[in-house]
Amino acid sequence: MLGASGWAFGQFGQQPFGAQPNFPQQNPGQQSLAHKIDFPHDAPVTLAGDEWGGSAATVRGGAYAIDVRVALSLRNASQRRIRGITLTVLAQESTPGGKGSISVPSLDVAPGETFSVRGDLHLLRPIGAGASPMVEVSLDGVLFDDLNFYGPDKLHSRRTMMVWELEARRDRQFFKALLDQSGREGLQKEMLASLARDGDRPQFGVQMVRGRATNTEGERDLQFAFLRFPDAPVEPMGGIARIAGNEARAPKLVVHNRSPRVIRYLEMGWIVRDSQGREFLAASLPSEMRLPPRSSSQILPDAALRFDPRTSVESMTGFVASVEFSDGSIWIPNRVELDDPVLRRVVAPSPEEQRLVQIYRKRGIGAVIDELKKF
Amino acid sequence: MVRLHVAACEGCRNWVAAFSSDRDALRQLAAVMPAGVNWDRLAAEMSANVRVGLEAGECVAPRVHKPVLATGWRVAAAVAGVTALLVSAWWLNMPRAESVALGRVVRKIAQARPWQGGIRAFDDSGPLVQVSAAGIQLQQNGGTLGMSQGQEPPVSVTLNVQGSARARYIDADTGQITITGVYAQ
Repeated sequence: MLGASGWAFGQFGQQPFGAQPNFPQQNPGQQSLAHKIDFPHDAPVTLAGDEWGGSAATVRGGAYAIDVRVALSLRNASQRRIRGITLTVLAQESTPGGKGSISVPSLDVAPGETFSVRGDLHLLRPIGAGASPMVEVSLDGVLFDDLNFYGPDKLHSRRTMMVWELEARRDRQFFKALLDQSGREGLQKEMLASLARDGDRPQFGVQMVRGRATNTEGERDLQFAFLRFPDAPVEPMGGIARIAGNEARAPKLVVHNRSPRVIRYLEMGWIVRDSQGREFLAASLPSEMRLPPRSSSQILPDAALRFDPRTSVESMTGFVASVEFSDGSIWIPNRVELDDPVLRRVVAPSPEEQRLVQIYRKRGIGAVIDELKKF
Repeated sequence: MVRLHVAACEGCRNWVAAFSSDRDALRQLAAVMPAGVNWDRLAAEMSANVRVGLEAGECVAPRVHKPVLATGWRVAAAVAGVTALLVSAWWLNMPRAESVALGRVVRKIAQARPWQGGIRAFDDSGPLVQVSAAGIQLQQNGGTLGMSQGQEPPVSVTLNVQGSARARYIDADTGQITITGVYAQ
């Protein structure tokens, strides 16, 4: 086991002291991967164990292609229950593809308990960046049950985990209410409906590069339509994007803050419908801003999306996915607002709903009810 | 002192007056050109004398060369040396990925031929994030970077126009959700 801040070579995984290492088959060109786990001394989690079996680095062109297969056992060293955690996995800070993250939402870890975090991801590291391939795992943030947050938050994980936690609370409340009103059968029916939607949800290939445009001939402006949520603090006023065949670029949106509070972050969803009637969530449009009450602002993300070559963009729909106010509080749509046929079809449910549905699929409706009673 | 003596001595005062009169007479004579002077001939003789003096100087003094740019093999050798130095510095310090990327850019510029109006077809080599039902792929410099969580495909994948993507995986046994992210920017 590696300490909370030390280097080790993880190609062959963890071995008991004095045991003969079990050398796996190693492909030519593969190298051992040095790794480091670096948690602050005052972190609310401590490392109880780590496993790096299968992690390796392979020379590919001028870079190392790094396979990180890590399983960490962490202990809650705080006095509060942990609801979510995000780890940064860093091979090279400034290299595109050199940084990744592993997040686990919908946790419920009591003080002193241990929990596992598993990650399997691929990163890049230029060969010139160091003598040997290496990767560093650090803590980006921990969210507690009282919505307090600990961590450097370099990946803005506080905001992301807050959204997941608020969605989890909203959905558990919905399922509890459903259980109270319609009993086990009503809850079971909703679990089955969610399972069916999961199976039918389209996932089309989308490429994105900021500022890229390879096909500017025959471009046209296409207006956004909007799903309007009465409860939302932000109202989309209008928007267009440049469309050329299977590419959409340079979206421009105008939004109005109809709340009495200053807004500092807005995330909108971008749904695309093609000429064959296929509809899918193309991307999210996040925007850092400072939008005073009763004022409007323009969102101009520098992005271009390229879809499947058979996709000819016919229409676009936007919706407000989340809003963060200047005091750090967050707004998300409620279940009624999400009960739109288009959203139900194309937008994935919350991580918590997916967790409960998986529990139902594996262990039945009784296990789901037991899970709901924990909160 | 002299002035006091001249003022008191009549003889000396007469000498001074005589010298002053002679000086004025000489000035008047010098202002009048001598008769019969041929100025053209005089100028030609003066020019000839100047040239003779210069030629004589050339014979006895070393010739001073004007600074001029070196040409020929010295220039070639110097350029070759500088080029070798730059190539060595590049080879020793520049990551191979950067060299490959630069080569690709140069080739694409050559293919796009912007000098012939083909700039619209030029496709820059910035990082490209792709999401699909299989997960996230990051393509950079022609290489592909995949993400996976064990053998299972993600239950959902989202693309963020700021240059990141997330894939959501679910543990079949425990139901625990793990969300991995990749950052292209």
